[in-house]
Amino acid sequence: MRLYEFEGKQLFKKFRIPIPDSRLATTPDEVFSAVNELGTAVAVKSQVLTGGRGKAGGIKLADGANEARTAAEGLFKLKIKNFPVERVLIEPKLDIKQEYYLGVTIDRANYTLVVIASGEGGVDIEETAAKNPDKIFKKELRIDQDLFGFDAIDIAKKIGIPSALLKNAAPIIVNLYNMFRKYDAKLVEINPLVLTADDQLIAADARVSLDDDAVFRHPELKELGIEMRHEEGEMSPREQQATEWGIPYLDLDGNIGMFPGGAGFGIMGNDFIHYYGGEPANFMDSGGGPSPERIAKMLVLLDENPNVDAIFGARFGGISRCDDFATGVIMFLKDHGLSKPLVMRMTGNMWQEGVRMFAKAKEENPELFKLVEAHGIETPIEEISKRAVELAQQAKGGK
Amino acid sequence: MAILVTKNSNVMIQGITGGAGKFHSGRMIEYGTNIVGGVTPGKGGQEINGRPVFDTVAECVEKTGADVSAIFLPARFVMEAAIEAIRAGIKFLVVIPEHIPIHDMLYVRREAIAHGTTVIGGNTAGIISPGQANLGIMPDIAFTPGRVGTVSRSGSITYYVADTLTRSGYGETTCVGLGGDPILGSTFDEILLKFEDDPDTKAVVMSGEIGGVYEEKACEVIPDMKTPVLAMIGGVFAPPGKRMGHAGAIVEGKMGTAKEKLEMLADAGAHACKTFNDIPATLKKLGV
Repeated sequence: MRLYEFEGKQLFKKFRIPIPDSRLATTPDEVFSAVNELGTAVAVKSQVLTGGRGKAGGIKLADGANEARTAAEGLFKLKIKNFPVERVLIEPKLDIKQEYYLGVTIDRANYTLVVIASGEGGVDIEETAAKNPDKIFKKELRIDQDLFGFDAIDIAKKIGIPSALLKNAAPIIVNLYNMFRKYDAKLVEINPLVLTADDQLIAADARVSLDDDAVFRHPELKELGIEMRHEEGEMSPREQQATEWGIPYLDLDGNIGMFPGGAGFGIMGNDFIHYYGGEPANFMDSGGGPSPERIAKMLVLLDENPNVDAIFGARFGGISRCDDFATGVIMFLKDHGLSKPLVMRMTGNMWQEGVRMFAKAKEENPELFKLVEAHGIETPIEEISKRAVELAQQAKGGK
Repeated sequence: MAILVTKNSNVMIQGITGGAGKFHSGRMIEYGTNIVGGVTPGKGGQEINGRPVFDTVAECVEKTGADVSAIFLPARFVMEAAIEAIRAGIKFLVVIPEHIPIHDMLYVRREAIAHGTTVIGGNTAGIISPGQANLGIMPDIAFTPGRVGTVSRSGSITYYVADTLTRSGYGETTCVGLGGDPILGSTFDEILLKFEDDPDTKAVVMSGEIGGVYEEKACEVIPDMKTPVLAMIGGVFAPPGKRMGHAGAIVEGKMGTAKEKLEMLADAGAHACKTFNDIPATLKKLGV
């Protein structure tokens, strides 16, 4: 879960990492009064859950309240990588002598925490890492290891923080590391850590990403107003609907509706459609053991999507059962009807039962099933993929 | 033979009195898995599916000789349960639940390394040595005893790969689910080396996914393996995924796309497969 800059800075403050005095505003008029409180030269920074804000014109410098208000009017109309700007943070403009980079993250290959520091802070730290890796200093620690003051002094020295300031820099590094561990973070970054003309070290930006799966044990986040959020920017109405129903779903550009089981085949099934010359209309994951109601909702997302010409269904019953799957599809057909051809395969847990249920329901109501081709374990999934591509081409040709 | 779990493994279920633990331990016993007991604190003395329940792992190990465990508990209890099992001497641990906090898995991994325990998961469908033991939630129908090993990030892909091997007459020695969580107890390279040591495993099919770094790690061991490795990667046509951000990118380099992962694996000597149908065709070509 990614935090807004102002939220990250609230956590910094709790951990005694110095941040600029600041105000949050949601309208140009609030920006105007904030500048009057803070002093004349300010930075107005849009708050969005994505990087590349500076390059996208999301940060404006202003001299005086009127100029800041005008700048904010522009920012509130801006969309940065699909994120509308709803709030801005106003901070006094810093008199910068030097910029550093400090970060903590997880090295998934080595199962370590990594403190990363560089004497070259600023927006292009990734480029520095790629082109001048020797300008990046890294220290790896196990999850149960503390970072001590002397470690931090060493790091600060290596990135060129002046001797007289090492004792100010060390607690910033130690506290950043402790904050990372305390809040189950995936990433914390101060970029840049600014050395001001009057020799203060101050965190000018905050990038914090927490582990969604551990938020439950940090109720204090809620007290700070930090709650679970989606980070996808603006969603299409269908993606919005799927999110409300709790179904992982993504719209794509093609015309074959994807109705798979687990996420693994959700991803690979889309590749298969490409291999046989088709284009998926979506990505979807049913999750483990979906209920018949959930199956029906998944089909609503496909049948009511005007871009979908044919539907590809695959179910390998593992923790889930194919008879539940069949119940869901039949329920959908009876309640809703089906306007697109559907080819599907069932295998795994209770697949024979699932196939039998389809055969019986079809016998009772052939009209309802005229667009459905249901296969069992005897037909390889590759054949089903090919058939879905054929059906989509036929449907398109008939349009 | 098989790796990690056989008919001789003494298997224990942590969380055996819960809904999933009860249901799936019943299924596993039906399959022939040698389940010797279960653990649920506060429920010691009960019986589930004819097996004794204990309050602690240590008791279960002492009374039943359990040496393998599968965890069926809510994610937030996994770290403590896993560390308890590892410290009680369990040498192979399967973590079924998903969404385990990342920092928790880092602790589990540290403990496992200190005690020489192999952990798979979280978010895994488990492991099966067909005809011997099924530990997890995999449907038996896909599997048959044979001579190819499989290791995969995803449950559904494991089933499809095994189904393909079964239909084409190869069968499987052991099928290992690594799991889908971001931090996993074991990585491809570690499992591949276990297959390399198994004389009955004549080839291994590994299937990975876009994202993460574990497929890249496999490339460190494949060149030295005598057992041929077949590789599939899901997500070749996936829209570009999200990245963790600056620091993540610095540590992990460019997050591998499926195409890059496949190329890297092929360079390391793995045989790339696009669809499941390519698997038997490749095995045939290799003379397996």
